[in-house]
Amino acid sequence: MNQAEVIAKLQTIFDNLFLEPVALTPSVSAKDVPEWDSLTHISMMVSVEKAFNVRFRVGEVENAKNVGEFADLIIKRTMEP
Amino acid sequence: MDLNQLKALLLHTDPGFWDHLKTLTRSAQDFEELFLLSSLRKKARARKLVSLKPPREKLRLAILGGYSLYPLHELIEHVCEVEGFPLELWRGDYDNYISEIMDDHSGLYSFAPDVVFMLPAERRCIYAGKLTDARELQAADARRTVDSLLELARRANEKTRAEIILTNFMLPVRHDPGAFRSRTLGSDWTFRKWVNLELGLSAPPYLHLCDLEFLAHRLGGLAARDERAWFESKQPCSPALMIELAREVAQLILSLKRAPKKVLALDLDNTLWGGVVADDGLDGIELGDTSPRGEAFKAFQKYLVSLKQRGVLLAVCSKNDLARAAEPFEKHPDMVLKMEDMVSFKANWEPKSENLRAMASELNLGLDSFVFVDDNPAEIDIVRQFAPEVTTILLGPDPADYVAQLADSRLFEPRNLTSEDAERTSQYRADSQRKTLEASVTDMASYLQSLEMEAVISEFAPVDVPRLSQLINKSNQFNLTTRRRSEAEVTAVMNDPEYAGYSMRLKDRFGDHGLISIVIGRQAGETMHLDTWLMSCRVLKRQVEEEVLNEAARLAKARGCTRLQGVYLPTPKNEMVRDFYGRMGFTLTTESETKREFVLRLDNFQPLPTMIKVTRRAYEPLQQT
Repeated sequence: MNQAEVIAKLQTIFDNLFLEPVALTPSVSAKDVPEWDSLTHISMMVSVEKAFNVRFRVGEVENAKNVGEFADLIIKRTMEP
Repeated sequence: MDLNQLKALLLHTDPGFWDHLKTLTRSAQDFEELFLLSSLRKKARARKLVSLKPPREKLRLAILGGYSLYPLHELIEHVCEVEGFPLELWRGDYDNYISEIMDDHSGLYSFAPDVVFMLPAERRCIYAGKLTDARELQAADARRTVDSLLELARRANEKTRAEIILTNFMLPVRHDPGAFRSRTLGSDWTFRKWVNLELGLSAPPYLHLCDLEFLAHRLGGLAARDERAWFESKQPCSPALMIELAREVAQLILSLKRAPKKVLALDLDNTLWGGVVADDGLDGIELGDTSPRGEAFKAFQKYLVSLKQRGVLLAVCSKNDLARAAEPFEKHPDMVLKMEDMVSFKANWEPKSENLRAMASELNLGLDSFVFVDDNPAEIDIVRQFAPEVTTILLGPDPADYVAQLADSRLFEPRNLTSEDAERTSQYRADSQRKTLEASVTDMASYLQSLEMEAVISEFAPVDVPRLSQLINKSNQFNLTTRRRSEAEVTAVMNDPEYAGYSMRLKDRFGDHGLISIVIGRQAGETMHLDTWLMSCRVLKRQVEEEVLNEAARLAKARGCTRLQGVYLPTPKNEMVRDFYGRMGFTLTTESETKREFVLRLDNFQPLPTMIKVTRRAYEPLQQT
């Protein structure tokens, strides 16, 4: 799966989560989306882990600065055996 | 209805949103789903989408503990609000609960909560010494842990008069220290089990245990924990357990304010036994130990009997020929349920909704205290449509799951089980015998005399508090003001010298009715205001009202009052007492849509004559008899 494919799949998760549609691009980050607060964030991580069948390691999600870096992290974790 | 339809309702500001939100919230399976529903609720509020039902006054809930209480607070608030109990929340800081409770000037106390929810840190529930230390040493430490939690709860309750909800501790899920864990009180496993047991068994009435040990056990220990969530954001548990925890806290809060169901009305064919008795005959139905399916139905009946022993009234509501329907109860050797277990037996061809209505009026109970159980979706649907107040349970396809379905419905949970609950069926049965007698005695006075009634009137006492609060929270019809009070609030009334609170117990030659009437008076100068006056409808027309008034007048005079002031606050259910004070000789002083006020001057008051022998009066020792 490449970054664009991961972002496309993330888009469906975001569409579910937010009332106002948000068009995801690699440079979008939480501060660009009013509905993306720390509460929504927790719920989003649970959804993403389920959808991609991955488990992030402690502390690494908060290091991702935007959707692009987050997608790369997902790819890295899905590549693992 | 799914999430997208719900979103569409929100975007079109359709008030139907709220009902669907409730349905989806009840059925939500995971954290993300519940969470999303909660954010939709907040967005609906922000868009001023109002519910059709008038909002209730907000309940003030303080949440504090040894964890981050965010986002747990969000889920608790959501579940309570969609169930019709909006919250005003105060959230303590992470791991600041001890000082928040000990400091008299903390935000907790200026918030003035109705309910305090406390989630203590499990890392403090450990034995610090060695696994091999003397057991006495370890036990003393466990006792100290319990005592310090009870002391925190006591202090919070004393300062705020709030009900306290306290979680106990999850058990460890890792193998270390191996099999030795159960041979010492020093292991976390044994230590926490001991603390949990002691906490539950020594909790005072105002303290409600939120059994986290049980919830984690039910979900599965490994699934209940999430170490990463602890390190990242100090969460108490996994998201999966968090929704169970939020639901449990909401359930505890709601049960403080909401009465449990009273009547369980049951279908017969394929509910109590397998097959159709009118077609298959007495020998053809599946019931009993000769087949696995028959065993499952028998086990279900045994569970129903255990509910009855807990005070739930059982009834039959079946589309059947009466004689055929009764046959298994009378003749089948494997029937656990007997005719006399049923407070009502309706087997006929009327719609079930009508039968349930008839039952409600016979038993003097509101339809909303009924639960109806059937395996047939069409019957469930008819009841939902034509008797929507009734809670319905559609049994699944497998009788092996019937017990689990009822046991997880959470509709019949006792808060504090009172011995009177268990007596209730025999009371209702004695009632119908009494009605037969009533029909045969023509003169009301000689009927009342023949009942040989005896009453005991008592001031509020700590031992009665659970029953007092239970009756105060569930009486609807004969209730002048319908003011609800939790156990803590009843205790507060009991200890306040401005108030005079008393209750009456009644027995007659058919049985003991238990505690059946409650009055709370508040003295202001020479006037005794009747804040609360309620009575169980089982004892209507038995002169209990008169005797209770005599006591109110006596107590008021003893305190130097010259008048009793009564008020009637109308609700959809208490029409029967609209003119009650008028009937008792009070004078109507003011009247409006929302209240009617009455007064009774005491200078010329003469006690009303009754056939009830009062063996004890409030605030007095037992009389010699």
